[in-house]
Amino acid sequence: MSSEQARMKFYCDNNRCIECYGCSVACAEAHELPVGISRRKVITLYEGIEGKEVSTSIACMHCSDAPCAQVCPVNCFYIREDGIVLHDKEKCIGCGYCLYACPFGAPQFPRDGAFGTKGAMDKCTMCAGGPEETNSEKERHLYGHNRIAEGKVPICAAVCGTNALLVGDAEEISAIYRKRVSSKGQGA
Amino acid sequence: MKKIIFSIITPLILASAAYAADSQIWGEMILSNIKAYGEVSSFSLGPLFVLLQSAYFSKIFLVVVLAVPTVFLLHYLIIGPKVFSHDGDKIYVFSLFQRIIHLIAAVAFLILIPTGLMIIFGKYLGGGSLVLGARYLHGVATLMFIVSVIPMFLFWLIEMLPTLDDIKWVFILGGYLSKEIKEIPAGKFNAGQKMWFWVASLGGVVMIATGAAMYLQDFNYNIAASFGLSQIDFLRASALIHNVLAVLITAFFFTHAYMSLFAIKGAIHSIITGYKENDEVKYLHSSFYKKLKKQGQI
Amino acid sequence: MTNHFGDVVEHSKAMLVIGANPAAANPIGMKHFLQAKDRNNAPLIVVDPVYTKTAAKADHYLRIRTGTDVAFIYGLLHVIFKNGWEDKNFINSRVYGMDDIRVEAEKWTPEETSDVTGIPAAKIIQVATILAKTKPTTVVWALGITQHSTGTSNTRIIPILQLVLGNMGKKGGGTNIIRGHDNVQGSTDMCCLADSLSGYYGLAEGAWKYFANSWGVDFDWLQKRFYAPEWMEAKGFSLAKWWQGVLQEEKTYSSSPIRALWVQGNGITSMAQTAKIQEALDKLDLLVIAEPFVNEAAVITNKKDDIYILPVATQFETEGSVTATNRTSQWRSKVVDPLYESKPDHEVMFAFAKEFGFYDEYTRAMKMAVKDGVLTEVKKDFNWPDDASDEIARTIKTIGLGGWTAKRLRAHQENWHMFDPLTLAGSGPMKGEYYGLPWPSWDEKHPGSPILYDVDTPVNEGGMGFRNRFGLEHNGVSQLAESGVDIAGSKVKGGYPEITKENIEEVLGIQLTAEEKAKIGANWKVDHSGIIQAKCRAAGVAPYGNAKARTIVWTFPDPIPKHREPIHSPRPDLVAKYPTYEDQENNFRVDVKFISEQNAQVWAKNFPTMLVSMRVVNLSGAGMLERTSKYLSHITPEMFANIHPDLAMEYGLRDGDMMWLHAPQGTKIKVKAQYNYSVTPDRIALPYNFAGLMQGVDMSQNYPEGTKPYAIGESSNTITNYGFDIITQIPEFNAGLCRIEKA
Repeated sequence: MSSEQARMKFYCDNNRCIECYGCSVACAEAHELPVGISRRKVITLYEGIEGKEVSTSIACMHCSDAPCAQVCPVNCFYIREDGIVLHDKEKCIGCGYCLYACPFGAPQFPRDGAFGTKGAMDKCTMCAGGPEETNSEKERHLYGHNRIAEGKVPICAAVCGTNALLVGDAEEISAIYRKRVSSKGQGA
Repeated sequence: MKKIIFSIITPLILASAAYAADSQIWGEMILSNIKAYGEVSSFSLGPLFVLLQSAYFSKIFLVVVLAVPTVFLLHYLIIGPKVFSHDGDKIYVFSLFQRIIHLIAAVAFLILIPTGLMIIFGKYLGGGSLVLGARYLHGVATLMFIVSVIPMFLFWLIEMLPTLDDIKWVFILGGYLSKEIKEIPAGKFNAGQKMWFWVASLGGVVMIATGAAMYLQDFNYNIAASFGLSQIDFLRASALIHNVLAVLITAFFFTHAYMSLFAIKGAIHSIITGYKENDEVKYLHSSFYKKLKKQGQI
Repeated sequence: MTNHFGDVVEHSKAMLVIGANPAAANPIGMKHFLQAKDRNNAPLIVVDPVYTKTAAKADHYLRIRTGTDVAFIYGLLHVIFKNGWEDKNFINSRVYGMDDIRVEAEKWTPEETSDVTGIPAAKIIQVATILAKTKPTTVVWALGITQHSTGTSNTRIIPILQLVLGNMGKKGGGTNIIRGHDNVQGSTDMCCLADSLSGYYGLAEGAWKYFANSWGVDFDWLQKRFYAPEWMEAKGFSLAKWWQGVLQEEKTYSSSPIRALWVQGNGITSMAQTAKIQEALDKLDLLVIAEPFVNEAAVITNKKDDIYILPVATQFETEGSVTATNRTSQWRSKVVDPLYESKPDHEVMFAFAKEFGFYDEYTRAMKMAVKDGVLTEVKKDFNWPDDASDEIARTIKTIGLGGWTAKRLRAHQENWHMFDPLTLAGSGPMKGEYYGLPWPSWDEKHPGSPILYDVDTPVNEGGMGFRNRFGLEHNGVSQLAESGVDIAGSKVKGGYPEITKENIEEVLGIQLTAEEKAKIGANWKVDHSGIIQAKCRAAGVAPYGNAKARTIVWTFPDPIPKHREPIHSPRPDLVAKYPTYEDQENNFRVDVKFISEQNAQVWAKNFPTMLVSMRVVNLSGAGMLERTSKYLSHITPEMFANIHPDLAMEYGLRDGDMMWLHAPQGTKIKVKAQYNYSVTPDRIALPYNFAGLMQGVDMSQNYPEGTKPYAIGESSNTITNYGFDIITQIPEFNAGLCRIEKA
């Protein structure tokens, strides 16, 4: 893997996700999010329907061609060299366009603006904080814990009980998943 | 299978209306919201919105705010304004109530259009509190517009209904491409004014509704459902309609301002004092003038 | 667990999960099953009344009717025996009483099994075929199996299936029972129960004498602590029915009603019959609760005075060992000192012992050690918790905790990274040991036994046969393993009895010295001298013998497991065919109704819907702790019941409507109907993880100021039907009936 081309990605292996909410709760806890804001969500499709039910964990997917960044009228998004899509809450005007653009429903708007209106957008930072000084009080307050700067894995993937949620360089992740698929039935 | 999905999703949506405090956009509705994005059977409003918002809307607005005034400047320089004597008789055309209401609407527009443009071109202003302030002001001005749009619509409705004159007026473009002053077929309001009226009132109501949807984001989810849309698709549709209409309204607003301020010298006084110059009515609103004469009001 | 999670990943080629939902109750355990699915292509077979999150990952899902597990396993056995797929060699050499099982299994044709369990006959045949043709297969269960009026039979019939298939004592086989909470295995091993001293020693006089000796106290002194000598050997009230000791509605056998209750742990609202518990709490003279969080015992009672809540430290504020589900022990360090005025559990106990005047006797054993083969007091003061751990290691021989000294457990914690997570085998300084020393770890040199009953591994490296626990012969049949069942490396070939002072010389072929004869204990379980263990080590022999597993328990009401309909069964026709037990006299000091309750009326007529209890992943137990977390509460902000839309429609219930659920015993709860397709229209499923509301009455004003959790709700246990296991008295949480009424 060459670090220049490294692009950080999330991948949730649906064969592994059991809807335990570990990722979502750990995320809320780590970043001290207001209740009702879930940067990471666990969803289940076809719940209870035999043979069809599938669970997965979703958050900001840190898209390469991030549509949120394309539509933002104030250009508050920036994409780090490693591909993590972040935004500047002090630039954000809470218009909601990124939510309309996002295929995953990732951007959320806590109702902390004037007159209880929706305030600056909040979303998964892949535990990489924001534009403020790294690990500063302000960064923590606005964007939550910057684990990446501390050399740690994002909290959601770190706590995943079944190793369903993977995070890291896109190539490494696909290698892990490829191994999981290709080694099927190779044990025992 | 579709049936089952809908029988799951629909009650969830209905149930979610009870939790207005706890947004369901990221709750139970997230499934339908995600599925609505670009799925073949959906309206593909997500990708459409991204395409238009990222590449077209701001350019179109730029064209409008540059091209429309340029055209009018050329018109002013080449053809020039229509000048009517201000010393002659005056005809009382607008009541005090109408003038006050129009004033409120005028102020609202003077705030709405620049703040709207500030949001559209927010990136050149650096975002943050300036643009955020513009967004809030846009909302406050909307309240003023709401106050004015209903009475205005009601008291001018009859006179704004289309007539045969309007077709003739359109064919000669209101006579504005000619320096010659002659009688232009028009009632109290000409076809141009009527167009502006309908765009501003009906379009304005749509603007209010779509703007409110985007502003509130979470509200009675049944509304979106009644259009067969997910909440986010409803918001996407709102954004698209709001922007497209905004182009139209901005262009009309510029025209309206140009007409009253420059194209017809002193025309603006009529909405301030209530009186229009006799000649202005006689030539530019000839049918109205004839009617008044017949009724002996002049 | 006879095996362990890593073993499943490494070796299991099929997994049968019955009465367990690890995806919700043990996500980390679930990972291993998913890994086995991925790596071994091992089919995951899930048997559950509800399509759980575990079932969602299954290759084969079998929707069983609650309380018919014995019938289901016999159905499998029928197919296996009929086709001759049983492991004949294993059965002949290591199992006693299989013929009786064979006879019973003959009745359970796929058609009959299907009628009783609700599982299609074809699926029963299919799964029996998979299990028979795929070796090794492991079986996993949890509370869905144990919490029944037939719980004991359930927990016997599944190991019998594994014996028939020859999967016991095999890598990738065994019976893996998942524990629900942290250290449940530890509290079980320590027998926090009403019917046994620690280490499953029971309550017989011999056991008391051994413990008196181990604690350095006089047996007579111990006996005098009891109201009368006969109570010493009598079982106490159980957690399941202690409230009868207060209310005395059913006949109780006690010298006095219960007047005071000490609560430590969440056993109040996580128990069935919560309405009765409430009545009993109201009637108590004194209620003391020692908890880090406010136990619902203090909330659901209407009692206003004489309730004391003692602040007790959490696990992060104290140190010691905990036992995991696979019999391993882990040392846990203190992270912070106890906050505010809270104290660790043992300090609370010490303070009370001082007050009651037996602190010295209470703590004496921690100052003792075995010196030259004799247990004596060796120091003036003890060192918590190391000396407590060493006392356990020294005393509990039945399950072989001899190796669990504080020193070794600390070393394992410090060298955590030196162990393989799948094999548990250590490397570097930990070479030759298994992580956490899975018991039996017979002595301080023993590496632990990751797989029970594995005769292919030498005893000193973790191997063993079945325990010789039930005598040498029954009905003229030897209970010892047949010849040919040689434990690897053992000097003694074939089966042998448990080692006693009497037989040690004969079995091991040795001569004891006079000094050894003077010091040696009566048998391996009570031998403080360590001589028996030392001789066994030298001979490569397991001190508990090498015997047969038995399918017949001649002291039980059902010598072999039999299907008996749940007390409140939805099938009156089957109640006649498979009735429950006769009413029981004096189990845990109280009478228990069985057949009289089953036949009191045709329950299914008035209570047509099956009641299934379940867990939600974000709450454990009664949710006492988790519901104080805003994020966890937010996932399930209120109590609900999963109901199929078709069933809901019958009662005019829309999704989210409130409904009353009525139980046969006359109790009711008001909960939200939540549409869900994981249940069929004949049953509803509801979590038991809520408290704070009782039969529609909000009790939350009883929370001390600032302690009310973010979520409160009715507990399903309020309507859990009457019914208790005939041996263990565990309540019937899982098979019951209810009536739905729109609220």
